[in-house]
Amino acid sequence: MIKTVLTIDDSRTMRDMLKMALADAGYRVIQAVDGVDGLETLGAQGADVVITDINMPRLDGFGFIEGMRADPNHRSTPVLVLTTESDAAKKQRARDAGATGWIVKPFDPVKLVDAVRRVAA
Amino acid sequence: MNDVSQITAAAVRELIAFRIGEQEFCVDIMAVREIRGWTPATPLPRAPGYMKGVINLRGAVLPIIDLGARFGLNTSEPSERHVIMVAHVGGRMVGLLVDAVSDIIQLTDEAVQPTPDVASEQVKAFVKGIFAIDGRMISLIELDRIIPEPEAEAA
Amino acid sequence: MSDAADPFEAIKVVFFQECDELLGDLEVGLLAIESGAADDETVNAVFRAVHSVKGGAGAFGLDALVRFAHVFETLLDEIRAGRKPCDDVTVKTLLRASDVLADHVAAARGQAAPVDEARSAGLVAEMEILTHGEASTPGAEVTLDDVPEFAPAFAPVMAAAPEADEFGFRPVAFSFAGLGESVAGAAEVAAPAGQTWRIVLRPHARLYANANETGILLRELARLGEMTVDLDASALPDLGDLACEESYLAWTVDLVTDAGEAAIRDVFDFVESDCDLSIRLTEAEPEAGEFDAAPADFDIAALLAMAQAEVAPAPAPVVEPVAPSPSPAPVAVVAPPTSAPTAPAAPAAVTIRVDLDRVDRLINVVGELVIQQAMLAQRVTESGLARSSGVSVGLEDLELLTREIQDSVMAIRAQPVKSVFQRMPRLVREVGEMTGKRVRLVTAGEDTEVDKTVVERLAEPITHMLRNAIDHGLERPEERAAAGKPIEGTVRLAALHRSGRIVIEISDDGKGINRGRVKGIAVARGLIAEEAVLSDDEIDNLIFLPGFSTAETVTDVSGRGVGMDVVRRSIQALGGRISISSVPGKGSTFTLSLPLTLAVLDGMVVTAAEQTLVAPLTAIVESLTPRAQDIHHVGGHDPVIRFRDQFVPLIDVALGMGFRDTPVPPETGVAMVIETEAGARAALLFDAILGQRQVVIKSLETNYQQVEGIAAATILGDGRVALILDVDAIVASWRKKAVRIEAATRPDLKLAS
Repeated sequence: MIKTVLTIDDSRTMRDMLKMALADAGYRVIQAVDGVDGLETLGAQGADVVITDINMPRLDGFGFIEGMRADPNHRSTPVLVLTTESDAAKKQRARDAGATGWIVKPFDPVKLVDAVRRVAA
Repeated sequence: MNDVSQITAAAVRELIAFRIGEQEFCVDIMAVREIRGWTPATPLPRAPGYMKGVINLRGAVLPIIDLGARFGLNTSEPSERHVIMVAHVGGRMVGLLVDAVSDIIQLTDEAVQPTPDVASEQVKAFVKGIFAIDGRMISLIELDRIIPEPEAEAA
Repeated sequence: MSDAADPFEAIKVVFFQECDELLGDLEVGLLAIESGAADDETVNAVFRAVHSVKGGAGAFGLDALVRFAHVFETLLDEIRAGRKPCDDVTVKTLLRASDVLADHVAAARGQAAPVDEARSAGLVAEMEILTHGEASTPGAEVTLDDVPEFAPAFAPVMAAAPEADEFGFRPVAFSFAGLGESVAGAAEVAAPAGQTWRIVLRPHARLYANANETGILLRELARLGEMTVDLDASALPDLGDLACEESYLAWTVDLVTDAGEAAIRDVFDFVESDCDLSIRLTEAEPEAGEFDAAPADFDIAALLAMAQAEVAPAPAPVVEPVAPSPSPAPVAVVAPPTSAPTAPAAPAAVTIRVDLDRVDRLINVVGELVIQQAMLAQRVTESGLARSSGVSVGLEDLELLTREIQDSVMAIRAQPVKSVFQRMPRLVREVGEMTGKRVRLVTAGEDTEVDKTVVERLAEPITHMLRNAIDHGLERPEERAAAGKPIEGTVRLAALHRSGRIVIEISDDGKGINRGRVKGIAVARGLIAEEAVLSDDEIDNLIFLPGFSTAETVTDVSGRGVGMDVVRRSIQALGGRISISSVPGKGSTFTLSLPLTLAVLDGMVVTAAEQTLVAPLTAIVESLTPRAQDIHHVGGHDPVIRFRDQFVPLIDVALGMGFRDTPVPPETGVAMVIETEAGARAALLFDAILGQRQVVIKSLETNYQQVEGIAAATILGDGRVALILDVDAIVASWRKKAVRIEAATRPDLKLAS
């Protein structure tokens, strides 16, 4: 069964790159541009895995994850955060917010797909 | 239709021949967009003598250049007997006023000879070369030199 | 596998387009911060802009850009977190950094020269000092080590021959079709000589709350080698006491692998702090499986199948991730994110993207419609049909409708001048730096709209005039202080609509035009006669003469041989006018006036010597029939006509244009009093006035060239071309002739060139 990945990033470049890497790996990709858009899209279309950036306008990645976890339909949907920061504090914050895992930017498409696989059932 | 007897694989050009007074000229047919009858042109102030004015070509403003005057030949006043060749020259559309258009000629580069020295300086400026067909001498015109560069605005 | 090269290049194009937008946002945000109009969200947006540029650049391996952006981003991070202040010095540094960032982007794009290394390094040093304080090692460079590992370019990675990765796993294919199936077959069996590890995993509730699943963790471990799993469900309470979101299960895994501890730990990377985990090496020989409650015949596939099955609230001691109940997640409550969602953005106006060609074609067709309608109206009038007839009335309605369509269509192509204005702050900064002047740019009316064709051609003249204002208009800081002015000069760029045209004003509060000097230079260059008496206004406008330049040395800024005459010509080519007014010591104002659109004009159709001409309605003050007693001849030959209580020059247009050789008695014609952009008045003599008409402007330059005195052409109802007069130019050239005539009669005067 084809899995759907929701990618949330305010950078069009990043969205395109994620789509390219994931689509090549056989995933169906849907997109959103910020946290608010992400919650709406997730609610409307659903997804098996979510990948989200942290720094976004309107609602950032942490806010999105918290919003997502508050939704009964998506409490157990895996969500990975994209982060250029590799410091522990940010990772901890992501974890606290409810992130399942993370991918460091700039991302290696192989590692990206790996990470998705690691959280997608 | 005149055909040059040998049409080799080398560059063959199609040219359109026209007449001004007693002389015959031709230009690359690719540059010519259409042939129209003459219509009176709106004159432009302080224009050179060969600039007859502008006409309306389906909504575009087309300058009309009297080729004979441009070549320094004696010409008559434009009338309904004249013909305007609408040509694309140097990114612009212009109308070339001639007496009549004759025929379409196919030519190889080899058949063209350099302009003889007897031709006037003025004509030589525009003529790329000459060739003969059926005993007619036809001058090949370089259109790009017809249109003058925009003159610097008078202070 | 798809060929990644082309899509990769396409994404690169997207990246650079995005960079343009981000750089624009960056500048707008920084300017807002500079003017004190910023809030926290502005600072965040500025950070995000640089962050996004860096992110994309990293993916494409644009090292120089990434390095610079990283330092920039770090400083912005400090500021947005409130750890560093954003004072005046900082803002100015940030603005200059944004300029250099733009240079790096342009260089990375291959579109511009390589970045000025000294300038870039200088800004990096400045930013580091602001970030770390003076204690930082001067000139410390950001090395690639400080910046996260760059991913190699996409293509090579994807095309690389699969080699053993850190899991010791050799990928076979990127197909995930086999996900649900037995994984055992896909994993390469570890060499029998591999080590045996004992891994004990006791997940905390949060592991599941974050949607991690033990089943998947075990599956990942299985990729590393052969393993056996033992479940410890001893902590599982009775069903009645079961709290769904708690975790009661623990697993013990014996894994034989040669992948090493790091690889094993890596599997638990995401969940490490959400579980109790112990990984230790046991003896080389795998222990004989001693399982407590696990089924004898262990099958990972079955495990997965059960794990994927819908969670039934069964207390059965199977490996099943406990799904948290739909009550609030038991995770530690996190304080609401500081970047709380701002008020939802106002619903944006719905827009569509349209091919510009289609718009242009539509505008052309509408232009033809206007012409056809005019032609039809003319024929109807000529046919003698009564004005009250149904046809005539219908035609009038048609004219109204046509006008409406035209206005709407023109509005499609109308654009705010903002796109031109927004390049100017950077220009002003750079010119200010180059000339050593402190300058502040104030803009107004950015949303003023004008036809697209005009907007694009405004940039150059505005740029020249701003350069001019800063380089020549503004005084050096010392001079300004001495004059009691604020050290920082102000240049104002404004756009507004005025009487059917768009007006652009560029003013400075500098020293104004030095009239004595200007006149002196004009005389020295032979442009005017020494004894010529000129009004202040006329002296100011001397700077528009070709060959005029007040710069003693050709400065790098404005003196590149581009004088104000070139500026004026480019404005005139747009059908516009430019004038200057100046107050010594206070400043100067350049005023550009342009038609709103290059396409349409309200005109008065007139005849002169059998030629039909059109005068722009906006220039016309009044028309009158000349009477002999109102006409006088100055100096014996220059006719002037009385208008209200003034005398204005009477210009025979047909004569001036060469349509006629000899003048005609003015009383036989009609005089149209016009006003030039500079406010000068004159009366143009025509044979007759035919009427007012809206005409479609056709360019003469497209197929011919600019003609003095003629602004453009149009096609009248009869299909013939009529020339549209450039009233300002007519008056100006008449003046020159008048001067010439005067000079001819007074040989002591030098001729104007």
